[in-house]
Amino acid sequence: MTKLENSTMERPFHREHRSTVGTFTSDNPRIVCRSVDVYYGEKHAVQNINIDVGRHQVIALIGPSGCGKSTFLRCLNRMNDTIPDCRVTGDISMDGIAINGPEVDVVPLRAQVGMVFQKPNPFPKSIFENVAYGPRIHGLASNPSDLEEIVENSLRRAGLWDEVKDRLPQPGTGLSGGQQQRLCIARTIAVNPEVILMDEPCSALDPIATAKIEQLIDELRALYTIVIVTHSMQQAARVSQRTAFFHLGHLIEVGETAQVFTNPQHQLTEEYITGRFG
Amino acid sequence: MEKSTLFLLILLGSTIAYMRTTWRARTLAETSGRKLHSLPGFYGYYTALWCALPGLLLLLLWLLGEGSLLTAGALARLPESFLDGAAPEKIQLLVNDIKSIAQGSFEGQIDPAIQMAADRFSELTQWSRILLTVLSITASLSGLLFAQTRINPDFRARNHVETVVRVVLIGCALTAIFTTVGIVLSVLIESLRFFNMVPITDFLFGLKWSPQIAMRADQAGSSGAFGVIPLLLGTLLISTVALVVAVPIGLLSAIYLSEYATPNFRAIAKPLIEILAGIPTVVYGFFAALVVAPFLRNMGAEIGLEISSESALAAGLVMGIMIIPFVSSLSDDFINAVPQSLRDGAYALGATQSETIRQVVIPAALPGIVGGILLAASRAIGETMIVVMAAGLSANLTLNPLAAVTTVTTQIVTLLVGDQEFDSPKTLAAFALGLILFILTLCLNILALRIVRKYREQYE
Amino acid sequence: MSDSSHQPLSRGHTHDIVMAGLAKRRSAEKRFRLFGLASIVAGLIFLLVLFVSIIGNGYSAFTYANVALDITFDQAVIDPEGHRNPGTLAAADYDTLWKASLEKLFPDVTGRQQKRALNAFMGFSADKRLKDMVIGDPSLIGTTKTVWLPVDDTIDMLIKGKLGKEEELNERHLLDQAWIKTLQDQNRIRSSFNREFFTNGDSREPEAAGIWGAVTGSALTLLITIGLSLPIGIAAAIYLEEFAPRNRWTDLIEVNINNLAAVPSIVFGLLGLAVFINFFGLPRSSPLVGGLVLTLMTLPVIIIAARSALKSVPPSVREAALGIGASPVQMVFDHVLPLAVPGIMTGAIIGTARALGESAPLLMIGMVAFIVDIPKTFTSAATVLPVQIYLWADSPERAFNERTSAAIMVLLAFLMIMNGFAVYVRRRYERRW
Repeated sequence: MTKLENSTMERPFHREHRSTVGTFTSDNPRIVCRSVDVYYGEKHAVQNINIDVGRHQVIALIGPSGCGKSTFLRCLNRMNDTIPDCRVTGDISMDGIAINGPEVDVVPLRAQVGMVFQKPNPFPKSIFENVAYGPRIHGLASNPSDLEEIVENSLRRAGLWDEVKDRLPQPGTGLSGGQQQRLCIARTIAVNPEVILMDEPCSALDPIATAKIEQLIDELRALYTIVIVTHSMQQAARVSQRTAFFHLGHLIEVGETAQVFTNPQHQLTEEYITGRFG
Repeated sequence: MEKSTLFLLILLGSTIAYMRTTWRARTLAETSGRKLHSLPGFYGYYTALWCALPGLLLLLLWLLGEGSLLTAGALARLPESFLDGAAPEKIQLLVNDIKSIAQGSFEGQIDPAIQMAADRFSELTQWSRILLTVLSITASLSGLLFAQTRINPDFRARNHVETVVRVVLIGCALTAIFTTVGIVLSVLIESLRFFNMVPITDFLFGLKWSPQIAMRADQAGSSGAFGVIPLLLGTLLISTVALVVAVPIGLLSAIYLSEYATPNFRAIAKPLIEILAGIPTVVYGFFAALVVAPFLRNMGAEIGLEISSESALAAGLVMGIMIIPFVSSLSDDFINAVPQSLRDGAYALGATQSETIRQVVIPAALPGIVGGILLAASRAIGETMIVVMAAGLSANLTLNPLAAVTTVTTQIVTLLVGDQEFDSPKTLAAFALGLILFILTLCLNILALRIVRKYREQYE
Repeated sequence: MSDSSHQPLSRGHTHDIVMAGLAKRRSAEKRFRLFGLASIVAGLIFLLVLFVSIIGNGYSAFTYANVALDITFDQAVIDPEGHRNPGTLAAADYDTLWKASLEKLFPDVTGRQQKRALNAFMGFSADKRLKDMVIGDPSLIGTTKTVWLPVDDTIDMLIKGKLGKEEELNERHLLDQAWIKTLQDQNRIRSSFNREFFTNGDSREPEAAGIWGAVTGSALTLLITIGLSLPIGIAAAIYLEEFAPRNRWTDLIEVNINNLAAVPSIVFGLLGLAVFINFFGLPRSSPLVGGLVLTLMTLPVIIIAARSALKSVPPSVREAALGIGASPVQMVFDHVLPLAVPGIMTGAIIGTARALGESAPLLMIGMVAFIVDIPKTFTSAATVLPVQIYLWADSPERAFNERTSAAIMVLLAFLMIMNGFAVYVRRRYERRW
């Protein structure tokens, strides 16, 4: 092969190849997914996903819109249960315990696996009540001062404390977009989860707010396992240790972030990260 | 000619005018070889409008003004002794007699003076009829002829017709304003006359309501008691009972239907519940009097409670049943308007469905629900038939739902049904009550509509 | 966990707390769900009780007890002079005929009290039936014939068992009861379809009281209401939705319409009384005034429905029409309005159904009078079905009670047909854009 030839020709896996490329397993995984399929009614939205999520790392799910990455993310805390007609099959387990069966109680599961959404969705309550809501319903605070402590800790950890400490009784909907999103992160942290799922958390935010959230994600990695869906490849490259590339419901390639972005194995991954489609 | 015949005649005439002119316009276009400004049909419409409108306007004028003019003419023939110092109600009776004599349906002795007036009345009626016939037909024909002269290819028939159409549309939209003005004026004027006889302070702050006394003593207003407080209290009591029934049941039904029910269950249960809203209030009234009141009274007797058979409880309970679908369909709308993202936020924290509903969805929908409840309250306050049929007539100053109370609407009906004498404080009091009712419900409605509107904007 | 300095609680601990509270939360969940279901069931039970009690109370009014009597059409009683003069025939005492027949059936009835009771066994309707027979066929005079005649309404109530159990009856009723038993043993009592109920006007006598007068009154009133409210309502909606500029005046009209939709109906009655009757001098109790009042009440409903129907026609239709050179008026009347017709129809039917069930404002304008004649014109005195129900519900006679329920059944049947039709129109012509 000569240097003039198109680099994609060098990729060992061509566009038609549809089973996952790269190391989808990880040592001492927190979440293990095997043969996961999701159907919306007749539509087969996510097909045969096998992937591990390691502890204390950020894994980014990337891919063009409609590729199934958000749908897959919502399998991890059973949010797909709220969608009528949605059916999830396959094995998903967390710390060795299956979480996908009908017998699993989603309430404690969701307390363990928190989620931050695309659009900030603070409750129409005060800032304090927004953060206190989770601990309250789960009974995590035995007295009011405990609760205040949890709220303060969570807000501090979400990097919002200094901005809102003087106006905790004001409505959460009055904050700016970026602050609202950090409030939602604080709300999630307050329940003391093990995994945090983030569904394009910065897509509704401006660049400055985005930078703050990204920095926050990096800090939170020490305490939590984070799965983040993102549209932006730069963001994936900046915040994640591992990256998984989805395309038309298939998991195409998984690997160390650096490797996926510098030396993708699959032709589709290469085309996507170089901006040829997406 | 009878007015209805005249009406049909004018319509017929304008239809013929339409068809003829349309045809004429078409031939005009062909023979002159020029392009018409508008479609031939518009020339037809133009002529038809000119033919129909003048005649119909005259007819309307007659319909509204004829009655009072004819009676005035007839009364003018009566000797002065009949009218001098006679109470208005006497005159009203006199007018009725004159009319029935003129129609030949009067039975009994006829005073020759009244007979004369009645003859005058028939005579005037005759003249009025002839005059109307001649005038309206002339008006229609001249309108027709005028329109005919203007038909030529350059005439902008469409624009003229469209202007008329727009004016008619605006006029129709203004009926809403006229209705409101009519309500305010009619209720206000009669109320002011009432307040001339009974001081407004006695009315607003009086603790006793017994309008009948004024009648018997025949001393206008001076001895009857027209204190509105017991009525307001009774209205409040019954409406409160109604809301206590309707709000929890309506709200919980709405929650169950929108959040828990399977689509099939919802498709059956929702229309069934809404049937309750379509049942006429008179049916509820009968149901209250026939089933609920006796049932409650017997139940009370079983457990040693004395429940009046006209208790506020029975009327309020049935009124509550009537309002259930009102509360539930409004709440349903507002609950569905709460964005799914808020629910997702709560679920993602591990909230159960009921926690999500109670602590996130309902608080978010609360302004709308409160607006809906205010509208329901306004409806309960203004509801008439149920309380007329199931609540009492005696104005008791009590807050005990087991006792009989009366309401504003019940009293309006009682005061106005039956023989009325239009200037007695008893009759006028009904209008003062109407004024109170109108103001009360208006305030509630405006407040509620404002809250609801604001809430809708928040999520749209 | 290594970083427990930040953590108030350890992970495992959190999980334990969540699990500990779970049972309680699950039962709260179940309870809440149950409350919701219970509310719906309560609403449905109310509906059921209402229908069952009305139907249970009223279905018997559709039949009426008749007794077979051997009537001798005695010339001496009916037409002593033998001229067959219709005036004479109409004025004859027909009760003598059935009284004679009853006496023959119960020869052992003696004493004033008992005789009087027997003479009240039949009523007014029996007289009328015999009179109609003789006038229709004078050749009956002088013959004897078995004739089915309606009994008195109290007897009808007794036969239907509506006066309570045996032990609650008074002496007089027990006497009647015994005669009924005798007649029943002779197969002389049967119940037949109560035609009078559907063909007669109101009456003080329950046995002769019917709903036809009220139905006619309702029809005349609704004709006025539909004839006025539909065109005016649609025109107002068209103006507000298609032509009105967005300014304070339009806002005022809108607020007004929304408010009018929530003004208590009785206030419209006061308006009708003060304006139409006292100011313009239109005839009291007439379908004309009733129709006008109901028009004003129905207008807001129709305007609101028509506006939302017009609003749901997509702007592309308007743009297409304007784009090929239609004037705004042509665009609305040729393109937008036809597409909005099903929605407007649905709203109009529902508004009309509501007007049909309305009674409070009509009480104010005198449609509550006792009217025997069937109304013939828009200005003759009339009542409407719901007001008739109100009047009967107030009457003390037992027989009116079942008639009230029966009239309600008729009213509800009309309403169901109308609402069913509205649903049909919506399903059949509904368009999703």
